[in-house]
Amino acid sequence: MRSSRRDVCVLAGFLGSGKTTLLARYLQERGGTGVAVLINEYGAIGVDHHMVQRVEERTILLEGGCACCSRREELAAALRQLVELDHGDELLSVREVLIETSGLADPVPILFTLMSDPVLRHQLGAASVVVTLDALGGASQIEQHAEIRKQIIAADRVVITKADLADRLTIENCRIRIRRLNPTAKIVVSVLGDAFGVLAPDSDLGHAGDLVKAYGQDFAMETSPHRDVRSTALTFNGPLDWAAFSVWLSMLLQARGPDVLRIKGLLDIGDAGPVVLNVAQHVVHPPDHLPVWPVGERRSYLTVITRQIDPGRIARSMETFQRAGGRAGFRVHALS
Amino acid sequence: MCILCSQLFNEIHWSDRQLTPELITRGGGEAGRRQGRQIRTRLVERVLAHYHLDVSDDWSATNYVVANRKGGHQVVSSLAELWQAAGKMAGQNLDPLDDTLLEHLSDSGHER
Repeated sequence: MRSSRRDVCVLAGFLGSGKTTLLARYLQERGGTGVAVLINEYGAIGVDHHMVQRVEERTILLEGGCACCSRREELAAALRQLVELDHGDELLSVREVLIETSGLADPVPILFTLMSDPVLRHQLGAASVVVTLDALGGASQIEQHAEIRKQIIAADRVVITKADLADRLTIENCRIRIRRLNPTAKIVVSVLGDAFGVLAPDSDLGHAGDLVKAYGQDFAMETSPHRDVRSTALTFNGPLDWAAFSVWLSMLLQARGPDVLRIKGLLDIGDAGPVVLNVAQHVVHPPDHLPVWPVGERRSYLTVITRQIDPGRIARSMETFQRAGGRAGFRVHALS
Repeated sequence: MCILCSQLFNEIHWSDRQLTPELITRGGGEAGRRQGRQIRTRLVERVLAHYHLDVSDDWSATNYVVANRKGGHQVVSSLAELWQAAGKMAGQNLDPLDDTLLEHLSDSGHER
């Protein structure tokens, strides 16, 4: 069932990685009706704004800084303005909001801004994060820039752009580097913005299906070369107790939030369908309770990406809390 | 606003499964919410006992009351606020990865 709240997509990616090409193509193909675009430019003149405005009239430009820090309030204010205009019938009904960030922006504070604002959290749905990565320079940019690593870890979908300029090995190298940082992100390859469909709101079942597929195919990855960042995939021998899990997760995020970079998964809590969980540092998206399991067997999967924390300690802690919460025989198994 | 208890919900915490503002306004889901809440509070109680703290629900089962043994207490509305308040009262970061806490939880489980 689709929520009445507006879908939000945060589009991030390093300078020149093809964000605007993807966005412009999406707006052209989709027709632009019902889509609002916010562009955050780092610099005196927002050049990108003029490129997008031709196809999308409802563009609000945030100039002069990064959406993740100095302009956080302005981002919230701009979004509130959009919502108010929508109510005042000055615009046709807005169903989707696309936020194009500046190249340096960390998406997590943007998600936090959206979810903590008393007006916006009732008007906007949970945001998905799409990150663009240049096929030619992407692998080395991941090594060199912490900002890019943060963006990829926060991503739900990563677009390897300019694929026509790179050979297969280079693209594969990019894909491997992305997987090492974020095992569950959906990765697509794009030429001249032809993967624009990733900006469309995900259907819930499709998203959950992607997650299961990611576990099935890619999880036997070697660990990240960034030694402080580690990822692990966990599964359990039975349904978990949601109350005990929420006590454990809230305590973990309070104590270790900055170092718990990402938690994502499908959880069997004993209902007919699973819970889709998506956590980016201290930001917990409202868990999605699906009516049925998407594909395959009924089994919980949980990916945890941490910095300077041994994933084995996470598994042991979670198991102990589940047992203390009444699931005496509960066991956590590592898939990787 | 819940029509049963007149409690104003200004935020639904992510841990309150399947609750929506519309459901709360109609007074729906109250029994399930209280049941889940009770399980959570019992587990939090066992965790906080390790730090010589106590927790209870307020009358409406929407706020937690964290207390220490010197009579100090604080009312908080969510699990996130609870861990913050308890950490301040205990004078330390409450870490679920702490081995001594995990041993305490395992041991107190055997005693039950």
